[in-house]
Amino acid sequence: MTRTELIGLFEKTATEIAERDIKGLSELTEISSLGIDSLGILELVGEMEKQLSIQLPDDQLVGLTKIGDLLDLVEKRRKLAS
Amino acid sequence: MADVRRTSAEWPDRTARRVAPTLAAAVEALANTHERGFTFVDTQGAERFYSFHALHAEALKRSYGLRRLGLQKGERISLIVAESDDFVLTLLGAVLAGVVPVPIYPRLGFKASDGYVDSVAHITNAAGSAAIVTTEQQEPYVRDAVPRCPSVKQLIDMKMLAAAAEGEGLDGRAPSERELPPVEVTPDDIAFLQFTSGSTSLPKGVVVKHGNLAANCRAFMYEGLQANPQAGDKGISWLPLFHDMGLIGFVFGPLFTDIPVVFLPTSSFARSPRVWLEAAHRHRATLTYAPNFGYALAAKRLKDRDLQGLDLSCLRVAGCGAEPIQVATLRAFADKLAPTGFKPEYLLPCYGMAEGTLAISFTKLTEAVHADRVAPEALQAGKATPVADGAPGNDIVCCGTVFENHDVRIVDDAGNPLGERQVGQIITRGPSVCESYYQNPEASAESFKLGWLYTGDLGYLANGELYICGRLKDVIIVRGRNFYPQDIEWCVAQIEGTRRDNVVAFGITEDGEEKLVILAETSRMQAGALREEIPKRVLDEIGLQPFKVELVALGTLPKTSSGKPQRRKTKALWTSGQFVASTHGAAPEGAAAGAQEISE
Repeated sequence: MTRTELIGLFEKTATEIAERDIKGLSELTEISSLGIDSLGILELVGEMEKQLSIQLPDDQLVGLTKIGDLLDLVEKRRKLAS
Repeated sequence: MADVRRTSAEWPDRTARRVAPTLAAAVEALANTHERGFTFVDTQGAERFYSFHALHAEALKRSYGLRRLGLQKGERISLIVAESDDFVLTLLGAVLAGVVPVPIYPRLGFKASDGYVDSVAHITNAAGSAAIVTTEQQEPYVRDAVPRCPSVKQLIDMKMLAAAAEGEGLDGRAPSERELPPVEVTPDDIAFLQFTSGSTSLPKGVVVKHGNLAANCRAFMYEGLQANPQAGDKGISWLPLFHDMGLIGFVFGPLFTDIPVVFLPTSSFARSPRVWLEAAHRHRATLTYAPNFGYALAAKRLKDRDLQGLDLSCLRVAGCGAEPIQVATLRAFADKLAPTGFKPEYLLPCYGMAEGTLAISFTKLTEAVHADRVAPEALQAGKATPVADGAPGNDIVCCGTVFENHDVRIVDDAGNPLGERQVGQIITRGPSVCESYYQNPEASAESFKLGWLYTGDLGYLANGELYICGRLKDVIIVRGRNFYPQDIEWCVAQIEGTRRDNVVAFGITEDGEEKLVILAETSRMQAGALREEIPKRVLDEIGLQPFKVELVALGTLPKTSSGKPQRRKTKALWTSGQFVASTHGAAPEGAAAGAQEISE
């Protein structure tokens, strides 16, 4: 899965959780700017984990602020899993 | 006069049961209990069981560690630990040492660190903590607060604590009773400082004494829940432990009453609410709790297939508290879970707050959730008049009765008691009620008067049962009618394109009259439609014409650590013009920087 595809998956999942259209995100979009509270973000992370069959440990989520940061972690965990 | 006192005659068996006079004594009393204990589940799903015997032994070890690091009885420590087992064991270690723990929420992901360091520094300074105790993982986010906290002499991580407890690195000797005799802890000693989440102002530290804890834990565990270890009671909780409902409700209450508990990480629940129900099924849990949003999230996220194979008839209490309770949410949850054997009467609304230690009133175990449907016009005039069956009205969930030896009253602005079904401020007193905020005489004088806690919540009594209407300071009074911001926010959040906790309603004074302002976060795309829909819906359902509706960019409303909108902070920012810059600029030409005036 390419980075673009991962952003697409993120947008699709975020749209589902926020119950409104979320589009046009980039690597540099701040996650806190999405208007989804911290629990909603964890819902989103949980959904991405399920879709990609990976685990994103809590302690590695701390300090991530941009979508690109999260995708870096996703790619790292996918490599580990394969 | 609406004044309710529960006498022991009405609660025959349950109140006969006593608890230890202090939390320290409660933990010591469990030292020989091997069969029951706490199970900590980590984020990977691995479970670690500590019998109460093992829990006491490990807490005692950590108490030695803290004492050997120089901490003395009465000194405060800021406790910032994300892992539930380390958090509980270290906190209990402090309690056994007579040291006062001050729980602070760990840093969560996806947020800039500045705000977090500010919070840690503010709470640590307000508590005058002698040390910050944290983990290796949290330490990098906590370290920057240390230079801003003059009282802090040490930053202690789990390794240092373990080393000190084992006696390594100090004098090489293992601690012994002779070296460190037990610390005497009395009911009048401070058990811990509970900093309130600060939805309206800077956090204040509620002084919770051991006597308060013992009284409240006895009340809600025995009177409220009729908890009984011999009958197989077992708690299950995903609530954060730095919050009163998780900490007192599931750590302290069960320790006073010998009830086993399974702790799930909050983040595991948020990722997948099924984790909660699956663990409740597997552990045959009988008692659980969640705020309203927890039930809403579970009902929304759970698919029917998620419930396959789950038998939740083991539960007997699914309590609800800590935020306004929506009867529709609880009913949706009960409906969704019906195939698992979950029954609506398991749901147990209650009312409480940190200043009352935790619980203030409980509904009866055998009753289904009961809401009072009252006439909106009467409610606006301060009277809760029931409507005829089937007529429209505001549903207000019954929060039950107060505990034995506790009183509740409804008073007007001058403090005079009000009568049945008259809406006023809820005040309460009794052994669970705390005495002050830590070293904050100004805030203490406002909330604690002659033994009564002025809750700042508006409500009424009907047949001795308590109903909560909203926060006193947030109520919007337009031409003598009282409107509750949460009702308006709830109404707006039902419109597509907005979301719970992304809407704030407040009143402003304009030309000598109070007027309604609504701020809603939304995407630019949906702003156009919402600009028309929100005032229309609010006028239809609430009967109040908004003065201004502002649609603001996502992520701009100030929130508390638990994701709730901060109404007063939002209002302050808005009145100082700071939201104008972030509003969607789709307003017609001439409107001030995107602000959309709807009426007037």
